[in-house]
Amino acid sequence: MKKIFAVLFLLSAVCLCAAGQQKTVVLKGRVIDSSDGYPLIGVSVIVAGTDGGTFTDVDGNYELEVPSSGCDVSFTYVGYEEVVKRYTSKNASSFSRIVMFMDATELEDVIVTGVYERKKESFTGASATFKTDQLKAVGSNNVLQSLKTLDPSFKMMESTQFGSNPNMMPDVEIRGKTSVMGLKEEYGTDPNQPLFILDGFETTLETIMNLNMNRVASVTILKDAASTAIYGSKASNGVVVIETKAPARGRLQLSYKGDFGLSLADLTDYNLMNAREKLEFETLAGVYKDNSSDPFAQIRLDNLRNERLKEIERGVDTYWLSEPVRTGFTHKHNIYAEGGEDKIRYGIGLSYGDVDGVMKGSDRQTLEGNVDLIYRTGKFQFSNKLSIDWLETSNPVVSFADYAYANPYYRKSDARYLYYPEEGIDDYPVANPLWNAGLNNWDKANGFGFTNNFIFEWFMAESLRMRAKFGLTKSGDTEQMRLSPLHTSFDDVGETEKGLYSHTRIDQIAYEGDVSLTFGKVLADKHQLNAVGGFNFSASNQQVYGYSANGFTDDQFDAPSFANGYPADDKPDYSESMKRAASFYINGGYVYDDRYLADFNYRLDGASMFGTGNRFRNTWSVGAGWNIHREHFLRDNEFLTFLKLRGSVGNPGNQNFSAYQAFSTYKFNGWMTNIFGTGVILNALGNAGLAWQETVNYDVGADITFWGERVNITLDYYWKDTDPLLAIITTPGSMGVTSVAMNAGSQKTQGWEATFRISPVYIPSERINWNISFNATSAKSRYDGIGNSFSALNESGKTSLVGTTRYYDGGSPTAIWAVRSAGIDPATGRELFIRKDGTYSFTYDVNDEVVVGDTQPKVEGIFGTTLYFKGFSAGCHFRYRWGGQVFNTSLFQKVENIGTEDVYNNQDKRALYDRWSESNREAYFKGISMVQKTEKSSRFVMDDNALIGESFNLGYEFPDRLIRKMRISALNLQLTMTDAFRATSVRVERGIDYPFARTVTLAVGVTF
Amino acid sequence: MRRFTLILTMTAGLLLAAGCAGWLDVKPYDKIAQDELLSSEEGYMKLLNGVYVELNRDMLYGAALSVEMIEVMGGAYTIGTDNSVWGNYRDLSEYEYGTQYWRARLNETWDKAYSLILNCNLLLENIDADRALFSDDNYRMIKGEALAMRAMLHFDMLRLFGPVFSRNPQQVSIPYYKAYTVVPNSALPASEVAGLITDDLLEARILLANDPVRTEGVRMEQPADGSSNFLHYRNLRLNWYAVSALLARSSLYFGDKESAAKYSMEVIKSVDEGIFSFVDKSLVTGSPDDPDRIFSSEVIFALSHSQRNSLFRNYYDPSRIPNYVFRMDNDLMGNIVFGGGALTGGNQDDYRYRVNWMATGANRYFYKYSDMVDTGNIRNTMIPMIRLGEMYLIAAESVSDDIAAGAPFVNILRSNRGVNNISELTREILQYEYIRELYGEGQLFYMYKRMYSPVMFSSVASMNPEPSDKIFVVPLPDSETEN
Repeated sequence: MKKIFAVLFLLSAVCLCAAGQQKTVVLKGRVIDSSDGYPLIGVSVIVAGTDGGTFTDVDGNYELEVPSSGCDVSFTYVGYEEVVKRYTSKNASSFSRIVMFMDATELEDVIVTGVYERKKESFTGASATFKTDQLKAVGSNNVLQSLKTLDPSFKMMESTQFGSNPNMMPDVEIRGKTSVMGLKEEYGTDPNQPLFILDGFETTLETIMNLNMNRVASVTILKDAASTAIYGSKASNGVVVIETKAPARGRLQLSYKGDFGLSLADLTDYNLMNAREKLEFETLAGVYKDNSSDPFAQIRLDNLRNERLKEIERGVDTYWLSEPVRTGFTHKHNIYAEGGEDKIRYGIGLSYGDVDGVMKGSDRQTLEGNVDLIYRTGKFQFSNKLSIDWLETSNPVVSFADYAYANPYYRKSDARYLYYPEEGIDDYPVANPLWNAGLNNWDKANGFGFTNNFIFEWFMAESLRMRAKFGLTKSGDTEQMRLSPLHTSFDDVGETEKGLYSHTRIDQIAYEGDVSLTFGKVLADKHQLNAVGGFNFSASNQQVYGYSANGFTDDQFDAPSFANGYPADDKPDYSESMKRAASFYINGGYVYDDRYLADFNYRLDGASMFGTGNRFRNTWSVGAGWNIHREHFLRDNEFLTFLKLRGSVGNPGNQNFSAYQAFSTYKFNGWMTNIFGTGVILNALGNAGLAWQETVNYDVGADITFWGERVNITLDYYWKDTDPLLAIITTPGSMGVTSVAMNAGSQKTQGWEATFRISPVYIPSERINWNISFNATSAKSRYDGIGNSFSALNESGKTSLVGTTRYYDGGSPTAIWAVRSAGIDPATGRELFIRKDGTYSFTYDVNDEVVVGDTQPKVEGIFGTTLYFKGFSAGCHFRYRWGGQVFNTSLFQKVENIGTEDVYNNQDKRALYDRWSESNREAYFKGISMVQKTEKSSRFVMDDNALIGESFNLGYEFPDRLIRKMRISALNLQLTMTDAFRATSVRVERGIDYPFARTVTLAVGVTF
Repeated sequence: MRRFTLILTMTAGLLLAAGCAGWLDVKPYDKIAQDELLSSEEGYMKLLNGVYVELNRDMLYGAALSVEMIEVMGGAYTIGTDNSVWGNYRDLSEYEYGTQYWRARLNETWDKAYSLILNCNLLLENIDADRALFSDDNYRMIKGEALAMRAMLHFDMLRLFGPVFSRNPQQVSIPYYKAYTVVPNSALPASEVAGLITDDLLEARILLANDPVRTEGVRMEQPADGSSNFLHYRNLRLNWYAVSALLARSSLYFGDKESAAKYSMEVIKSVDEGIFSFVDKSLVTGSPDDPDRIFSSEVIFALSHSQRNSLFRNYYDPSRIPNYVFRMDNDLMGNIVFGGGALTGGNQDDYRYRVNWMATGANRYFYKYSDMVDTGNIRNTMIPMIRLGEMYLIAAESVSDDIAAGAPFVNILRSNRGVNNISELTREILQYEYIRELYGEGQLFYMYKRMYSPVMFSSVASMNPEPSDKIFVVPLPDSETEN
């Protein structure tokens, strides 16, 4: 159609010219994109002030007849800055290559959803995009680590248990949890985890964690329904879209990026007793007091205490915590060669990373090769990204906790035991963690995987594009663990059963295909239409196979072939899970006069995890926006450059659930057969009526830029209603199963986010820029309509040692439930409780529990500043949180509640001081006792306010004149320090099994 | 172009609607999906057999409800002194159900019984729609057995956890699950549960009307043509007579003597028809080295436990440390059960004594579950669940309100045990007969509970706990009350 018009135009122009007998010349040339050198198709080329014009063809070429006397020629294309070039009779050759630039603001502000791209100005969703430089500026550990410093809604849960173990995958969430706790334990998949999209394909958290940051081009977080609904039933936890760099056109270019880091264990949260304190504590607790009437027993205990005291007098005071830790050295390298011309572009990369954790024996190595190819011919483009990766990890076999338990009055030694009771004495030996760690134990894993993503694009017309893609991922991981037969845990095991070897193999294969059509057009200059529609299917299959062997006799020779047999009553583990999903989706956007925006999404999802009755589900969203800065009354305003109001509503769902929960499954009861043959019984009870968990998500927000783009503000307010919740509910025994997957009640969340970025000094021409950024977020959730569904969880929480989470209507998922405490009664040393009705009582009744705090802070976020001066840059980012509480388990378990066995482990210093006694009546803690049980009360709930130095960095980019001689086109250095300090209002032991680390990294980037 | 878009979109839509429904139907490989299992007659047979196999678990009739927990509660054993071995059993013999150990054990039993009820319900829920899958009379056989199984398990849970029925029939007891559900059922008054149990048994009885056991006997051998054993070894399945026997047992428990008499006599009649027969004297006295200790020809329904010998080895075998195994109180045995003459009916000529009680040192030990020499014999796998002898005792008790009128039934049984008649039947003598006949089969506790009489641990009446709810009513397990 276009072409016919163009030809008609040309013809008429020719006719006119002929009529006027005016002399004309034909200009020939090609229009290309400034960013990648690609020809631009369908650029309108017009002689200014006339109707005469044409469009570029599929190769970007044009021919235009112009008056030889000269004229202005204008080149226009949607999303690009208009180019107007004066033709004089002499400069025809300069028209052979026209370079067009994307609109300056738009270059930065394109939202990549993984399905379609949209200019920020015409997008109604809530999202945030970060480029590689921004990510690298705040840290170089991994993409997600940096993301949490940049966006307040993105959270990586700190694991008190596993600390900075490089081999533990973190729990990640966007805008809080939508699912009930406990599901992860049941299913192994985190139901609150966002969806990760890498180069348009769904991927796993682990892949993102392993991804070398230097390969990343941009990361987009999609938060609200308008932006996530295109992913339908996988989207209710938000979406993280990661695009890797595409090879740039041009001569062969080689770049090297290197990161060199040091990690130091952060043991400041430990507050353990020294040798003298510990012995005093044990004495007060009655460890050396015999309760039997045997006179020799008391003599033995006296001697034991004296022996230990003598050791202390000799100066023994072992700091065990420093034994398993080391300075971890991390180095990562990435080499990338890229180049090509119009038709073919290529990129070949190799990445290697070696992360040594701060605990000895903790290591993670990754090796990854990738090949990117793009071939473009005429209206077709083929691109393929292939990556192959190898992973090797190892973990320390002796937990950090074992060192924290060791008493400081024992000498450091290579002995098997720190203490071994004499013959005939009824006492437990104390194993030496150093002995166990020194044995030939290992816990290691390796994995090999490849991913191939192929995309075919057909530029059917200027406004219409078809895209077909297919991605395949295959991985195989092997985990092996070996405990030496000399390990003290085998002391009571028969000679032929000592030692343990276990082997687990995990094979995964997943594929995803997608066909879509994208349409984009501006009608009559005022109506901008965008539409995407497509069909997507995906499948994943996982097999886990494992076995164990025991009966090793030698520490050194550890091959599984030396095993004596299999553990008694053990059988091979095997499990398999297959998930399939198929969907149809459509997205439409309409912009009127750049001012009024509307978006809608619809997706029909089907998934194998849900019962035949509920197999398909609809996801929808609508969004609207208003670009106030485009209004006529503000158009001439220089101060306010951008002001958009937007709002959206939609119902994305969640399908992070087990593969076979919808129907009942059976298994053979192979433990016995009878004369009638084999038997089969129920394995798991399905619930065919199970409904998808969905979250109706509302969001209103504003994006504001003013003062010459020096101030950027983004504000969002959202509320979410997850209804129904899907939960594993424990059932009465008479139902025949102990738990069943059910829909129960709903969870309502509301919250807000604010991001401010201010540049008080902004002189781009001098390359001087000073930024201050501040963001904050807050959210509140409550349960509704859950009734008694979780009464079992509540009951087990009440009776559990430290469980403070309860599930009641109106209650918050993060509330801390405990009985209020009025402190320790000075007269008696007993704890005084406040009952539900406000009266005081010495007796603890679990039914007096009320909400005594909430782990969700009232407000939290990041503030920081960055200074760019010529080639130098410096920045720092601080995390703050305020208004939350925490149940201090360190105080609860390591100060009070030290049981008869725990008393032999080293404890928190506070266990000795501030304890009630006849002489210290105004104490915060009860008197020292081995037998007294302390109940969960508000005495252990403390305000959790914190300021954390999350990221500090210094950078330098070498100026051209310095490096050109070395034939280097770019060279930069950056020094980053993460988690440099923490100031907290509460002191809790963190890093129980693995300590936390502070990291300093030097990043080097060279481009030749 | 628009048209093309439209066509593509429509094609995609159609593909999704038509192709995907099937493609999305994923069946697991490491487990058996229900519609795969229940797609054939064989699948139903496997599921039903799976339930029979699971009855052999230790927390059910593989120990707890046959020889161990329930017999300790029924006063069958003398409790030793060593706390590390006997501590928990002493608690139980003092009816301390609240200890951590027994709470956990009772919980286990309860959960397992109800999980098997769920298995029955899943079978019953689907079998009617799949009726076309079944050949011959197998639909009725399978459904009948599953209903009887569901009733039997509920009945035993009611007997264990329910009230003393004769005193508090309206007391809330246990839930009765008639269908697979994800919503918990609440506990019902005992009398309602009784009605539901009776209904299920009656329906099972109708369904099993053509059970081959009624015409061809139990058929304790494989079919001559090598085909499936499904309709053989009927005494290892809940056959028509077993259902009648359960009806007799439950009717008596629920106080319906008329029905108890009717159904027990129906089973007794089978002796005349040659279906079940009293144990041959020669098998007992003629082969002293290898007697048929469980009197297998009298067993109406038994479990088949491939390691049944472990019941003997774990609980009774004196070649373990003798003080650590179960045995009867010496005075109770000597003065009452197998002694005491006409007053008690106890007699050492009794087959049940001669075959099953062997002396080691000063004590006698219980050999009912000791293997016959002929290993591999199916008899060595049997754990009797209900037997002919009990039918005579039920008939004796229910034929008239006057217990003395039941003497002839007891005497028929006694004549087949090689002991002389009793002249007058009393409740005590009937109880002694129960002990002689059903010792080690998990019925004594229920008998005392039903009659609301002291539990006989000893021959000294003052040593035996008086009847009370504390003794007889086991509290509902934690898993039931806390969820």
